[in-house]
Amino acid sequence: MWEVSVLEKTVYIRLRHRLQIRPNQIILLKDIAQVIADDDIYVKLCALPLYKVNEHDQNIVIIDVMKVIRAITQLFSNLEVQSIGPAQSIVEVVTKKQKVSFPLFLLVWLLLFIGAALAIMNFHEDVSMQAVQLRIYTLITGEVDRKPLIFQIPYSIGLGLGMIIFFNHVFKKRLNEEPSPLEVEMFNYQLDLDNYVALKENKESMKYLDDH
Amino acid sequence: MMTINVVLVMIIGFAGGLAVGSGFVAFLAVLGIIPRLTQLTKTMKMIHHYEAAVVMGALAGALATLWDPVLQLTPLLLIPLGLASGIFIGMLAAALTEVLNVFPILAKRIGVDGKIAILLMAFVFGKVFGSLFQWIYFVNK
Repeated sequence: MWEVSVLEKTVYIRLRHRLQIRPNQIILLKDIAQVIADDDIYVKLCALPLYKVNEHDQNIVIIDVMKVIRAITQLFSNLEVQSIGPAQSIVEVVTKKQKVSFPLFLLVWLLLFIGAALAIMNFHEDVSMQAVQLRIYTLITGEVDRKPLIFQIPYSIGLGLGMIIFFNHVFKKRLNEEPSPLEVEMFNYQLDLDNYVALKENKESMKYLDDH
Repeated sequence: MMTINVVLVMIIGFAGGLAVGSGFVAFLAVLGIIPRLTQLTKTMKMIHHYEAAVVMGALAGALATLWDPVLQLTPLLLIPLGLASGIFIGMLAAALTEVLNVFPILAKRIGVDGKIAILLMAFVFGKVFGSLFQWIYFVNK
């Protein structure tokens, strides 16, 4: 007869993709992962300390799933750990509530405002917008007007309206529930950043020759 | 000799039209304005009619530029026409991928993830202001 090592229980963990934590806080298993386990070990598992954020840490710490499994198996040797989902968790150390500096915000706002104004004027010159508008005016009315404002003012208002329709945003109010292209783009950008730090800051994820 | 010239010119004209037409459609497809509009209005099934609208609009524009018709209609017609073309150009400007790529980075740099709508408004008002400034004051100065 060969010996069968029976692992008594299975515990399922699913690491969170991203979590925020205060400096000098100890990261517990329940902070970093969703846990499914029997009731008798669940409480102990949840309170399992994994990592203490110290002064030397930058504002991003990566916790690999292997580290979590090692910590669990040290505590319960006869437990089978099933990991579902991401292989690492991105821990963001939040020192204090990030306050937006208002002058900086105003500066960026004005920069965007002036830049957008200049860009649209350049665009109009580039595509001979004025010449086309004059021709449209003559086409419809049969008269010649050097400044067909009856066309140009609705055009300018429509310009803003079109952008709002595209972004699906009027300040906080939205025109319908679907995410706007900008929100999707913000999400993708964050995902790219997360992907980068998950691999780059995680010392276990890459191995190089140490010959320099 | 004459016939050859005429045929040659027709071929060149046709080829040019083909290239410009396909380029125009490709440009619209890349910007994704039509999908965005169908998504907002929930009219995915009507997409073929939108295609026809774009093709017919382009043809009407081509006819108007080459033929130079004069319709002798009321100038009031220009108000909806101007509004519609403004909305279209506005969506073009908003859809440019450069704009979509810059905003997330900018918002992250200055730490205003939640207030991105206000940054967007700077962009929108800037466009409207720039356009009005150009037409009312800047031209014919």
